[in-house]
Amino acid sequence: MNLIDNYASEVGRRLPRKDRADIEAEIRSALQDLLDERSRSMGKPIDNEMTFEVLKEYGDPEKVAASYHGERYLIGPRLYPFFIKVLRVFFPAIAILAGFWAMVNVSRQVAPIENISGTFVSVLIGVVTTVISALGNLVLIFAIIEWMMRNEGFTSKGNVQPTRREWDPRSLTRISPPNQIKLSDLITEIVACFAAIVIFNFYPQMFSLGFTSGGQWYLGIGNWTFIPLLSQAFFHYIPYLTAVWVLTIILDIILLRMGFWNTTTRIVSIGLKVIGILIATSLLVEPSLIGVSASSFAAVGLVASSDTIGVMIFSLNQLVRLILLLIIFLSGLDIIKAIIRIHRPSFPGAPQGK
Amino acid sequence: MTDDSFENVILELRRGVIVLAVLSQLNREKYGYSLINSLQKDGLEIDQGTLYPLLRRLESQGLLMSSWRIETDRPRRYYMISDEGRTLLPRLKEEWNNIVSMMNRMLKQGE
Repeated sequence: MNLIDNYASEVGRRLPRKDRADIEAEIRSALQDLLDERSRSMGKPIDNEMTFEVLKEYGDPEKVAASYHGERYLIGPRLYPFFIKVLRVFFPAIAILAGFWAMVNVSRQVAPIENISGTFVSVLIGVVTTVISALGNLVLIFAIIEWMMRNEGFTSKGNVQPTRREWDPRSLTRISPPNQIKLSDLITEIVACFAAIVIFNFYPQMFSLGFTSGGQWYLGIGNWTFIPLLSQAFFHYIPYLTAVWVLTIILDIILLRMGFWNTTTRIVSIGLKVIGILIATSLLVEPSLIGVSASSFAAVGLVASSDTIGVMIFSLNQLVRLILLLIIFLSGLDIIKAIIRIHRPSFPGAPQGK
Repeated sequence: MTDDSFENVILELRRGVIVLAVLSQLNREKYGYSLINSLQKDGLEIDQGTLYPLLRRLESQGLLMSSWRIETDRPRRYYMISDEGRTLLPRLKEEWNNIVSMMNRMLKQGE
């Protein structure tokens, strides 16, 4: 392999496989033309020095490869404002939660932490690690959405041609055409579903009551005891809920790519809402959604009066049921809206579904 | 204005006319290096890193067509304007003439 082949390979390995051979062949041909010309003008045969000179003029392989790509983003200008909005809303909450959990984890360590600065450093490390991990996950979600939204990426001809729906000046008015997607709603839903999948499947302990060794219910450094807040009956439904969240994310990504609602996507959305309502209704008829009981208190060595425990279980049960009723009500509203929009003639000029 | 800023403005101005210049030169088929020479002869400097990706883009848009040919033991890719490009070229020329007239008027008014 000579220098020109090496150079062309260096450029080629940075290009999509399907375009690589063609572009490499063209670069080899172009370099050979340049060398022939240089050899003629200098009146001497081609040697390594001359080749180095020509390759230097042609440019850094990385830059040459980039010139075939066009602009590429991990999070492009279209999604960036939403990314910043989500960061502003979620990060203070994540930082507070991370701080809380870091303190709890520190307090649960077997060896007592005697110096305050050591504890502080442990908490700080916990917060920073969690926040960085959350940021990574968020960037990953947005990068996947960005990739999915790229209707046409690097085409077989090496041309980046992002095709976007024609901009509609009506989007400036407050009335939005019913078939037009709301980017912020879809992205919020994707992030929320992703968070729900991660939390309920991997961090179910986040839903538990924590007590210090003295039985006081406030945050403090000491030996912590946890009682699961939600019952096993509730967690039996998690696989079904996870399936609904995953399907919701897939539907949202499809909508982001299409840019508008049509009859099929509305029917799928209605189907998912109906399944959601069915799951929420099944949860509602469960005898208890709360895992806290007198025996669970006794099991961790906490003494509380039966009246106190009874009131607590009743209140928590009512709270969870209220949340479920709210979810059923809002999903019902969404279903009604979707049915109306399937039957109602679309806003003039809005992208039409089938 | 520094020399660098001036160079950047000139570069931006030239960038806008490259597509028209390239299309206008490909009534007869040419390979990349011969096209660079031909543009250079008429006063338009263009580097290889700009030209080859542009040629691929124009081809993918259907404005150019290309074919590989073996010449003097070496493969060369020849480009030529396509029928679609030929239809578009007079419209682009007309638009260019309009831009030149408009700019001349504006620049005269500014004097």
